[in-house]
This record gives sequence, structure tokens and C-alpha cells, in this order.
Amino acid sequence: MNEAQTDREDGIKRREFLELLGAAFAAAGCSPRRPKEAVVPALALAEGSLPGRADWYASTCGACTAACGALVKVRDGRPIKLEGNPDHPFSRGGLCARGQASVLDLYDSRRLRGPRKGDAPAAWGELDAAVMDALRAAGRSGKAVRLLTGTPAGPAERAAAAAFTARHGARHVVYDPVSRSAVLEAHALTHGRRALPRYHFAQARVIVSIAADFLGSWVSPVEFTRDWAANRRPADEWDLMSWHGQFEAMMSLTGANADLRVPLKPSEERGAAALLAGLVADRVGWTGPRAARGDAPPRAAKALRDAADLLAAAKGRALVVSGSSDVAVQVLVNWTNHMLAAYGATLELARPSFQAEGDDASLPRLVSELERGEVAVLVVHGVNPAYDNPHAEAFRAAARKAGLVVTLSGLPDETSALAHWSAPDHHALESWGDAEPGLGVRSLRQPAVAPLYDTRAAAETLLAWSGRPASAYDHVRALWRSEVFARQKAAADFEAFWSEALRRGAVTSPEPGRGEGSFDAGALTRLSPEPAAPEAAAFEPVPYASTMLYDGRQAGNPWLQELPDPVTKACWGNWASLAPEDAARLGVIEGRLVRLRAGALSAVLPAHVQPGQAPGSVVAALGYGRPAAGPVAANYPLEKLLPIEREAGGGADLYPFVGLRSVSVEVLPGMSLLAKSQTYDHLADPLTKKRREHLRETTLQELLSDPRAGNPPEPTAAALWPAHEYKGRKWAMSVDLSLCTGCSACVVACQAENNVPVVGKAEVRKGRDMAWLRLDRYYSGTPGEEVSESGEVETAFQPMLCQHCDNAPCETVCPVLATVHSTEGLNMQVYNRCVGTRYCANNCPYKVRRFNWFDYAHQDQTQNLALNPDVTVRTRGVMEKCSFCVQRIYAASSEAKSEGRALKGSQVRPACAQSCPAQAIVFGDANEAGAPLAEALGDARSFRVLPELGVGPGVHYRTKVRNKKV
Amino acid sequence: MKPAILAAALFAAAAVRAAEAPSEFQRNAALFQSKCSKCHTVGKGDRVGPDLKGVTVRRTNEWLTSFIAKPGALLDSDPEAKKLLERFSGVRMPDAGLSPAQTAGLVAYLEAVSAGPSGPEEDAGLAEDPPEAKVRLPDEGRRVWWPGAAGALVLLAAALAAWRLAGAGPAAMLALLAAGAGYWSLGGRAYHRLLGDQRGYAPAQPIAFSHKKHAGELGIACLNCHHAAERSDVAGVPSLEVCMSCHGVVKKAAGAQGPSPEIAKLTAAWESRGAVAWNRVHSLPRYAHFSHRAHVADGIRCQECHGPVETMQTLRQAGSLSMGWCINCHRRPPAEAPSHWKRSGGPLDCAACHW
Repeated sequence: MNEAQTDREDGIKRREFLELLGAAFAAAGCSPRRPKEAVVPALALAEGSLPGRADWYASTCGACTAACGALVKVRDGRPIKLEGNPDHPFSRGGLCARGQASVLDLYDSRRLRGPRKGDAPAAWGELDAAVMDALRAAGRSGKAVRLLTGTPAGPAERAAAAAFTARHGARHVVYDPVSRSAVLEAHALTHGRRALPRYHFAQARVIVSIAADFLGSWVSPVEFTRDWAANRRPADEWDLMSWHGQFEAMMSLTGANADLRVPLKPSEERGAAALLAGLVADRVGWTGPRAARGDAPPRAAKALRDAADLLAAAKGRALVVSGSSDVAVQVLVNWTNHMLAAYGATLELARPSFQAEGDDASLPRLVSELERGEVAVLVVHGVNPAYDNPHAEAFRAAARKAGLVVTLSGLPDETSALAHWSAPDHHALESWGDAEPGLGVRSLRQPAVAPLYDTRAAAETLLAWSGRPASAYDHVRALWRSEVFARQKAAADFEAFWSEALRRGAVTSPEPGRGEGSFDAGALTRLSPEPAAPEAAAFEPVPYASTMLYDGRQAGNPWLQELPDPVTKACWGNWASLAPEDAARLGVIEGRLVRLRAGALSAVLPAHVQPGQAPGSVVAALGYGRPAAGPVAANYPLEKLLPIEREAGGGADLYPFVGLRSVSVEVLPGMSLLAKSQTYDHLADPLTKKRREHLRETTLQELLSDPRAGNPPEPTAAALWPAHEYKGRKWAMSVDLSLCTGCSACVVACQAENNVPVVGKAEVRKGRDMAWLRLDRYYSGTPGEEVSESGEVETAFQPMLCQHCDNAPCETVCPVLATVHSTEGLNMQVYNRCVGTRYCANNCPYKVRRFNWFDYAHQDQTQNLALNPDVTVRTRGVMEKCSFCVQRIYAASSEAKSEGRALKGSQVRPACAQSCPAQAIVFGDANEAGAPLAEALGDARSFRVLPELGVGPGVHYRTKVRNKKV
Repeated sequence: MKPAILAAALFAAAAVRAAEAPSEFQRNAALFQSKCSKCHTVGKGDRVGPDLKGVTVRRTNEWLTSFIAKPGALLDSDPEAKKLLERFSGVRMPDAGLSPAQTAGLVAYLEAVSAGPSGPEEDAGLAEDPPEAKVRLPDEGRRVWWPGAAGALVLLAAALAAWRLAGAGPAAMLALLAAGAGYWSLGGRAYHRLLGDQRGYAPAQPIAFSHKKHAGELGIACLNCHHAAERSDVAGVPSLEVCMSCHGVVKKAAGAQGPSPEIAKLTAAWESRGAVAWNRVHSLPRYAHFSHRAHVADGIRCQECHGPVETMQTLRQAGSLSMGWCINCHRRPPAEAPSHWKRSGGPLDCAACHW
């Protein structure tokens, strides 16, 4: 009462105020004023480009040294997507998850804006002067100058490095964070040539891999996946399907796809390789000197005997590879390949690969030079020695004794934290360059955008410091004129040759090979003695390069941080995988913190229980736990929006454990739940133990007698609705589960194409990840009893996306008709109509609908430049899901219309199908006769998921076929 | 061919061109009209570029073909081309992005029309339809009744409330109602249409560019400057380079005394490499996707959505750009739409625009 009186004295009542306020808002809503919006056209457009229309440039992916061919999509001056270049002789159209994600690195807001002196911005002139002074002083005092790099990106960078080293009497030290050094060393011993052979998995009918993850991260996964898939492809000649045996401790992506996978600890690799070589020697009648006979655990030994039989029978079409860093194992593998006549057939030394050239011994040598204070100037490029190797701690201490440390890294990293100067390199999408992934194949890199910041190409920097300043463009062109153009005969004019090379992206030159070399059996007698086996109670550490982060250079990339590991399905941070037997013995469940300890080294990680892992091993990914990788690597910066707890660090650094033979595993009291995108692991019903048939499998042997093996006809389900009549097109997809390796390239391709947001670790834990396309992974058996009748854990992958059902259950429950059926068979999601009831997601039997619980992560304005303008950015409260890349369908339709031709369904390729290195995904118009899709749908292996529901999915799968020769 | 016969043939062809596939000559004529006529005439004297009458005699076929295909290359290397460049004040011919077949077609067209005494093409009805051509927007003139009724109801409710709650007398109530009616009749109704209906929106632009002048009086075809509309989803505000390809030479309005201050603004922006921030007139929500090239390829004239732009001194929004407005066309194409369009209509799937 009192209050009301006071109000009245002030002349206005509270209620009146509210009324006026409401009226004012209503009036404002009726206002005819419209906010002004500016259109700023370009001053002048680049030749041939148009506003609103994407240009595509052929270039070379810069995410790793595999140097796959990439096509860069540039919209209105901004690169927004990378796709595989079908004309590239190595990658042939595929591009891996990391390559796809590298476009986001271009827009990383942590990139250096220009050169730096310590932490302070500087000018290039100032930097050059300081470096030149130091170099001259080093020359006068006779102290050492060292250039430290990873495997050079290509001849142009190699030439720039050579110019630098020649000018300053410097030594070029090369190491690879994920080392392949042992393969090269072994070939130096056996073939007298330190080289990495080029592997031809397509030529191999029998493949045996001892811990080489060649489909996931080993040397050139995109190329190898394409080649491997060539012999898994359904054809009339099914009996030519390859057989692939894998012996490894961790459950790798490659192991998950093998026909036979046998657990084998790292310390047993030597014995297994020797045993296999010895068995093959017996079978092919090898008469030369032999290595000591090896031995392996009983299960592995039996499998190796079977493998040796198959290998010997497929002589000339067999291949053995190993990912071991033990040179002796690699020598034994070389011997086996030699006996199998593999050199010149399934692997080539005549035209070696240049994808890894690092030398493991080089970095420790440099560290000791640094420790002795002998190095005056250290230039670091392309690697991060203060983090990405087992000697990082020693390097960090020793680098302080160097006179001047300069890093060319474009991002602040652990090395730039201790460098005196940073001379930032361009991003790969901003620079001229080239690559030579293998002898005779040159791939060009061209800028797709002008440098965003005041950075300078590494080659230019090195040339400037060599006293031969040249632009990267001139440098690359001069090199191509003298080295590539001069050796070819097809084009007479260099300009014509150059523009054709730029257009295609890669050039194959008919360079004569260097010969396969001869095998020196003497190397077998000079093998290093086998180290003593680690004590039985200890665990053997297996630090590995993951599909997502590889060596850790992309740790700040949110797409890769949120990409689930293909096998464990966990993301955001790493974990320690234990075999189920060990986990049971230690009393560890998933998420329990464990400490790996070796002497003073220690790493705390949440545990993960991995079926199929070798007991006695502990597996954890490299690339995590980087202190200088920024907020994304530490935890996704959603805390600005959401009240989530912030976890310190993003996993633990496993590099110090590389090369160790044993660690102890200590169980800690705490828990840290893994963020997993899939929490159900088995096809079998846990209660009835009956296999559910939504992923169908068979064996080659059954398939040969019955084309419909493992794929009984669909039950006829009663439909409540009349069938759709598709008079024109009917969009559909077919996924061949025999080809899909689970590599997850499609997942990132979809994310990039469709502006799929990143949600952060806490949200993934709640099952709110937004991936439109998820890769389901299933183990055989039931929880805790994964080992199948054949004595191994069988794994299968299934890409799961909106099935675009004919009688879609989501459509019937939407109260606002925000999800409806198109006349061409698409299940459409209309964002502007959606009110977020989530009925559709609840009624979806495939669980492929994603809900925007928040306005996810578009506060980084730089990162937003990577958004695809052709796809709506969804807001909070809206449902979304796979659209079959409808924007591509309509773009292709408009294109066809403006060219006056009819659109064919086979001309449309969604992002997932485009990027698939194995070409497992076929998309198109089911009504187009004779198209690849029609052929796929007519295959006897074709099936649909949950046909008993009668929803009529538009996505078809093809039965997974395993070759059970053994 | 005699020009009169030619002109008659073209008239006839123009009359039925919606129904029939154009002949090769007509296609070439249209190509010339859309790509070249901004700067060149045939037999009507030099414009921004030279008069092309007899050019096929003056130059060899190879020279002409390579010049049309890649003007930049020739202007840099060929002495003849350099001389031309000097004569035309250094205005470089842009690369029109023509296919070899189109280039050959243009050469054939120039050869054919050069034979006559003067270029007949401008009289042949091949230009865009004259400004007074009847353009009916799909929902133009359709009255939306309910905002007015809603407004009246609100006004009535306010009057009642004023009477019941505030004890206002009949005079005050009448005054309130009269004020409402006055507002309505004095133009308020122009605004109170469907919410979001922006018809009539015509913001002032940083440079007072007149479509009336360029598209109407000079008869420059829309696609001459908005050439992206043919091959891209967006028509695009032309880049300054496009403006300067004429205004590098043209500095004053026809009949004006001194140089135009508006052109001076343009030249200043170009010379200082500064950006011109135009005010967007036609704006679609981000969740609606429209493809210009698909509509242009279907033969839908620009005016069908944008209204009689060639009569507008300041560009204004003519259509409401609402979803109903789009759908009306997709369902029932207007009578003058090309025949193939009438048969199929536009797609009605949500995903045709929303993704």
C-alpha cells in the first residue's frame, strides 16, 4: 500500500509503466524501418570468378607429408572446403579427416599476425637483420648453424633449405615426429639405399601387417586405403579378394578391417617377424643365409604359419609391412618381401616414396650439440621439437644454450615459446609450393587466398637468409622450368605446361627408376641383438599417431578434437586403453584415472577398456597434452556460453613414452568420463545374445556358394501409408560396408560442407554431438565376450546418417510440418519452421537427428570465415540432420539448367561420397538406369537397416564380406 | 541478306521467341546484345570501343577470334591492339568468358550485319522489352485486408479501454479514432501490410546511380552489368571495374554542362581503391536460398521479380519477396511466361529453397 502510494506520488504506477513498456515494444515491432545492410562489391573480380559462385583450385594438401592432391573451393575469395583431387596420382580423389580439417587451421584466430621478437610484434626487416647478423657472427666464430625441419614439403622447400645450408655451412637436420626412420634404415642395410619404398597395396592379394596402421596413419593412408579397397571391391571375380592379416597390440583402424587380427605385444614383434620370415624361407626354399629363428605366443605362431602359407602361395602378389621402429624387425620384413618377390611388384624401391625422410638419430645428435653450446643459430621449420618427439624435454633445456633460435611456425607453439624470433610461414592454402610424394610425381601447391596476415612463405624466408631473395612463386616456377618442364616432352611451351600443371595439380614425369637394388642377405647376420624382454608384470606402452591428431600439430583444430576415434569412439583428449583381462585384474572400468609411470615420467589418463588389445600393453594417442596449443586443445571455449566445468589440459603428452619398453600402470582414485559418441558397442542383444541384423556380414567362402549369403530377403512390413510415386528422380545412396574402413574422412567432410557445429567435451558426454554422419563401430559377441568363434574380436563399421525414409516416422509426428517429404525422395528439414519439439528425434529409429541445445560456438569471427554460405547456420532450438547435401543437388540442377542439359543423378556427389578414399559411398538417382547407384542397389549384397519397420529407407548398405581363408 | 528483310525476320522471331527455339543468328545477335553492345555498335559510330562495322574485313579471323577470347593477352602483346588501346583512352576490353563456339558465333554475326548499310540490331526488337512493357508482379495490386482490420480492432479496443479505465469522454474517444483514421489514410497503410513486407523500400545510395538512365534511356541490358545472374546464384552488385569500363571515358551526363558529381564519386572510389558500400534493397532471409541462374535459364525476365527497374531513378523493392509471393509464381506462372515454364511451374518442395 505504502509502496503504491509512493509510486503514485512519482506520477506513474509500476503497472502503468509495464503497460507502456509493452505498448512501446509492440509499436517498435510494427515499425516500417528496416535495418540497413551494406553490399560491398569487389573493386575488380579475379578473372573468370563471379560473386556467389565457387571457384576450384587444384593444390596440394599441407596437413602432413603424404601430400595428397586437393581441390580448394573458394567462395567470394575465401577457401571454405578442401576436397580430394581425382587427377592426383597418389590420392586419386580421396582426402583424409585431417586434410579436410586443415581449412579450419587457416582461420585459426591464434595464428601469428606477423613476425615476433619473443612475445612482441616485430617487423620483417628487423627480424631479417637480426638473423643475418647472427648468421654472419656464426660464420666468423665458426660456430654451428643448424636448420631443423620435418620431411621437406617438396623440392621447392628442399632447394630453399639447400641454398640456406650451402650459404652458411649449415647442416640440415631432418626428423619426423611420427617416425618411419626404421624402414629407411633397414633398406640402407638390406638394399644399400636409405629409402622409403612406395607400397602398392592394390597389387597385393595377401597382405600381412605387423603393427603398421596403413589405413589409419602410416605413411600415406589415403593412397593405401584406395589401393587396399581395390581388392575388396565386389566384382564377378570375388575369389580375387585380398586376404589381410594384422598382428598388433592396439586395436588400430587397420586391424579393425583385417580378415585376421591377432594381438601381439611390441616386444613380441621381433620374434613374430623372425618366425614369419623363417616360415616363408622354408616354403619358398630360401638357400641363402638366414636370421635366427624367432618365436611368438601360440596363437600368433599358428596365425603366422597360416599367413606364411598364404604369402608363399601368392609369391609376387604378396606384401608384408611393419610399423615397428626396430630396425631389425624391418630388416626381417625386407627379407620376407624379398623372398616373396615383392620388390618391383607390390613395393618399389626403384621409384621410392619421399613422404618420410627423417632420421631418428639426428635429433639427439642436435640436442647434444646444443647442450655443448656449439650451435649459434638454430632455425626450426615444420616441426615442433619442444613437444613432438621423445627428446622434447632435453631439447627445451638445451635450446636455451643456442645463440639464436628462430621458428618459422605460423602458430604459437611450444618451440616458439622458447624461440628468440618467430618468422611465421603462410598456411598451405596461402603459399606457392610443391611436393614430390614419390619419384616421378610432382604436385603443385598454389595459393587459394592472399595471405591473411603479415606472414612470409618459409621458402622465401630461407632464400632471403641465403642472400638469394626470390618470391616463392618465382622460386617454384624456376625449379619447375629446370627440373620438370625440361624432362617432359608433351608441352613445348613452358607457359602452356605450367598452366596445365596448375589446372591438374600434379604432373607425372616418366623418370627412369633407380632400379630395385639387390638384397644383401648379409644384413640378416648383422642384426642387433634382441633386447631383453620386459618383466612380465610391467605394461608395454604403445604411443600411437591417431586418426584425429596424428603428431599433434592440429591439436588446436576443433573439428579434429571433436572427431571420435574410429575404434574407441571417444574424442576430446586421449585415454589409456587396456586389454579387458588387464582391466579386470586391476579393477579398472572406463573413465577411471590411471597413471603411467616410467622412472620420473608420468602421465595421468582416463582408462579405456579395449576388446582385442594385447594383454600387457597400454595404448595411448600422441598429439594431446600440448601446453601451448591454445584454448581449443585445452578444452573447447564453450565456457563463454555454458556453465560447464573447465578441465585442465586436453589429455596427456605421450611423446616421452615413445621408445620405452615398459611402464607401470597405477590406478588412481578419481574418474574422468570419456566423451564418446557411441556407447553401445555390440550387434548382439546383451540378453538374448542374438545378433541384430542391422549390419550384415558374411564370409567370402559363403558368398561364393550363395550370392545372398548373410543377407536374407527383407521381411514384408505393412505400411500405413500409400507408397510415394517418384516420377522423376529419387535420390538414394548405397554404402559398401566391405570397403568402408571407418577412417572418418566423411565425418569431417560433412562437418565442413554443412556448417555442423562443434559442441565441446561436456556436451558430447551428454550425447549432444551434432555430427550428421556418424560412423558406428560394432564388435562381435556381447559385452565382455567379444571374442568370436574364430578366436578374435571382429569389428565392423557402418556410416549412419539420415536414411531419408519413404514413410519417415519423423514426418508424421512433427506438429508444425517442419520435416516433410520432397517429390524427389528427400526427407527435408525446414529450419525456419522448426519449433524444437524434438518429437521427430524421439521417433527416429536410426537416431540420426541432432538438436541445437544452444547457439553453438559461432563467436569466433575468424573461424566463421570457413562457414559455407550455401548452408544455413542453425540457431538454438532447431532440429537438424543430413540433407543428402541438398545444396549440391540444387547447385547441380541450376548448373545443368543454365547449360541447357538435363541433370543426371550420377553427377551429384555429396561431401561424404566425394571425400571417401575407399569410394565406399555411391549416391544418385535410383531411377537412373545404368548408373552406378542402380547397379549397387541391384546387388545381391544390398540391404537396408531395420526393414521390418516398413519405413522404406533411402540409404542402402552392402553386406560386409570377410575373407576367412584362415 | 537485305537489312529490311533481316529486320522483319527478327521482328517476327522476337514475337515468337518465347515459344520457339531461337535460330543461330538470333542467338548470336542476343549474345552481341548482352555482351558487346554496351561498348560497341555496328555502323553507328564509336562508343566506348570501336564501331565494329566491317571489322571482319579489317582484321583476320584469327586475330579477331583470339582478341575476343583473350583480350588481355593481345592488348599486352599485339602492336595493333596496343594502338587501339591508345585510341580508346586505355579502356581495356574485359574478358567476357565466351566459349570458342560463342566466339565463332559472334564473328559470324559481325560478318553478317556488316554487310548491311547500318547495324539493324537495335531496331530489331532484340533489346530488352521497352520500359512501358506491361509488367505485372505476381501479387501486385492484391490488397491484404487483415492488417487494416486488425488495426481498426486495436484502435477500437484502445478507445474502449480509454473510456472504461481512464473515463475518457466521447470527444476524446472520437479524437482517438479520428487520429487513427487520419494516419491510415495519410499513408500509414503503406506500411501496415504483412509483417516483413518491404515493398517500396528505396534507400538512398552512396552514389545516386540511376537505373532509369542506364537500363531505360541507354537501353543497356541487365545482364551487361549483372552478368553473374546468368552463371551464379547471385546476380551481384557489379564490381567497380564494370562501372569504370564505361566511366573511364564517360565523365558527364549527356547534355550536361560539367562533369557529373556522382561519376566523380565513382572515379574517386576507383582511384583510391576504396570500397563503395551500397545499401542492399533486395534481401532474403538467410534460410531461404534463391538461384538467379536457374531463373534466368528458365527465361524469366528480371522485371518479373524486380519490377520496372528501367523506370526507377532510385532502385526500390517492387515485389514483397515473401514466401507466398514466390510460391504463387511457382504454382501459377504469369501468362507471359515462356511455354516450357508454364508446363512445369517451379518446384514446390520446401528443400527447393530451404536448406
